[in-house]
Amino acid sequence: MKAFVIAEHAEAASALAAGARTLADEVAVAVVGSEQVPANIADAAYHVAVPEGAAADDAAATLEALLDDVQVVIAEPVRHVKSIVGKLAAAKGASVITDCLSIEDGVATSMYFGGVGQIRRKAKSGIAFYTAGAGSFGDAQPSGSNAGAEELSWVAPAAALKLVSSEPIQKSGVDLNKSDVVVAAGRGFSEEADLDLARALCDKIGAGLGCSRPLAEGAGWMPSETYIGVSGLMLSPKVYIAAGISGQMQHMVGANRSGTVFAINKDQNAPIFKQCDYGLVGDLKDVLPKITEAL
Amino acid sequence: MMNIVVAIKVVPDDQDIQISAAGELDMSKAHQTISAYDLNAIEAAAQLAQAVGDSKVIALAVGGSAIDESKLKKNILARGAEELVMIADDACADLDAHATATVLAAELAKIGDVDLVVCGDGSADNYAQQVDVQLACKMGVASVNGVVEMSAAGSTLTAKRKLEDVIETVEAQLPCVVAVTPDIALPRIPGMRDILAAGKKPMNVGAADAAAETCLETIEIKAPEATERKQEVSNASDDGAIDAFVAALKAAL
Ligand SMILES: Cc1cc2nc3c(=O)[nH]c(=O)nc-3n(C[C@H](O)[C@H](O)[C@H](O)COP(=O)(O)OP(=O)(O)OC[C@H]3O[C@@H](n4cnc5c(N)ncnc54)[C@H](O)[C@@H]3O)c2cc1C
Repeated sequence: MKAFVIAEHAEAASALAAGARTLADEVAVAVVGSEQVPANIADAAYHVAVPEGAAADDAAATLEALLDDVQVVIAEPVRHVKSIVGKLAAAKGASVITDCLSIEDGVATSMYFGGVGQIRRKAKSGIAFYTAGAGSFGDAQPSGSNAGAEELSWVAPAAALKLVSSEPIQKSGVDLNKSDVVVAAGRGFSEEADLDLARALCDKIGAGLGCSRPLAEGAGWMPSETYIGVSGLMLSPKVYIAAGISGQMQHMVGANRSGTVFAINKDQNAPIFKQCDYGLVGDLKDVLPKITEAL
Repeated sequence: MMNIVVAIKVVPDDQDIQISAAGELDMSKAHQTISAYDLNAIEAAAQLAQAVGDSKVIALAVGGSAIDESKLKKNILARGAEELVMIADDACADLDAHATATVLAAELAKIGDVDLVVCGDGSADNYAQQVDVQLACKMGVASVNGVVEMSAAGSTLTAKRKLEDVIETVEAQLPCVVAVTPDIALPRIPGMRDILAAGKKPMNVGAADAAAETCLETIEIKAPEATERKQEVSNASDDGAIDAFVAALKAAL
């Protein structure tokens, strides 16, 4: 059995190569873009440099020829690679099972309706395609004897994208995965300035400030890398404090592994109150300053 | 002038999903609804059509027979699309990305002269983010995901896309397929007039020409085990409620 790993980041390449080893006896890895394949993680390693003016998505045409003797493809769940692996699956008449939480004996578990359920699926035949995060394979360690990586020459597809510009996103530098205490702000914050109430609470207890997705996308008041939930961060802090968050499953799957969950919401019927340890029914504009003061 | 098709998934409303004691998901009482982020896709398509001028937006939905529902169809057409093409066929229930793309491509060929297909960021059920790219491959055209802004001039689509680490600007030759993020446009809230007008727009509902085989097999769908929580909830205005909350918080820190 041969597995093929596709990643954009070296770290993901290592983690997925380790996972691939749990599924297959032969592992090949390809990294697309500016990062390199780490040594000693696979039996064969390839690198695809993306030419000036081309988009990484189009690396699929370069990689396709390498899949002939492959049974399993595991790809990093980032947008470039999701389009690469989608193109490869299309070429092979297959579908990709994306964002797998785990893969065992070819059966992948992933979220269904944002965490309302979990769905277990497998490929009926042919090559099985998956995308999976670094954490999907527990503490599996990569092994192999690759030194460098073979540089593949770019094959341009018929319908190519033209890359005009690429600007790095300025990140906030906040890594909520490292916070023991997280305060999460939701749409209950009606004005951006009110976020200062949550920031004051964070300062008092040394918490990191996160949010629900609408505050990052749509409102744009918070950086994208701070929204919590199925399509954002999956956290497990000691303490999680939700303010003005209704408690939809898509958000809560990112928070329900927290030690103790606190919630503040003005609607006593908000679903969050069924998923918290301690809840206060009240207006956050009134309640948050009182909590901060009493601490 | 552009013909823009927006591909929409109709899904059971997750608010109506019941979980049985055994952890099974019961969707029998769930209303059919437009998958949340496809609302943003419809709006983005409508805004682009307006910006280009003299253009038309056609909504295209593929699913099981349950999606052929009058209120839902009006809801789709009340949001800026001029026409609806719906494949409501039990052979098309729960298709994977490859099979969905196959059926969509067949319908697009019948519609003809399509310049752009707009997809949402991901569907509420599986969020696979794969139909856009699979469809583009079927059509032999380019696809762009993560699109937060787009414009069209001549035969070129220019898209700004937000990726994990970078913002890219790319150009694709039309026709092509884009998947837009919810950031691109806030869905409109249809008024009574929009809904009444929607009822008079063309709705073309039919069955798929050929059954599309899915290549994935579903083994099980189950609700995850819920974490037990204390659920001690009190009114903030009650005497001592805030103090008790703060005490619990201090103890947990
Ligand atoms: C495919 C898909 C993926 C998604 N992924 C994510 C994800 O990863 N993360 C995520 O967060 N969401 C995600 N969502 C969106 C999710 O379904 C919810 O829409 C979102 O989490 C709601 O955010 P919210 O709780 O902040 O807002 P709302 O649901 O609008 O809730 C606001 C709450 O604030 C309360 N409130 C209002 N005013 C006050 C006040 N003054 N004081 C106190 N309380 C107040 C209200 O009672 C209400 O309960 C996803 C959705 C889909 C379809």
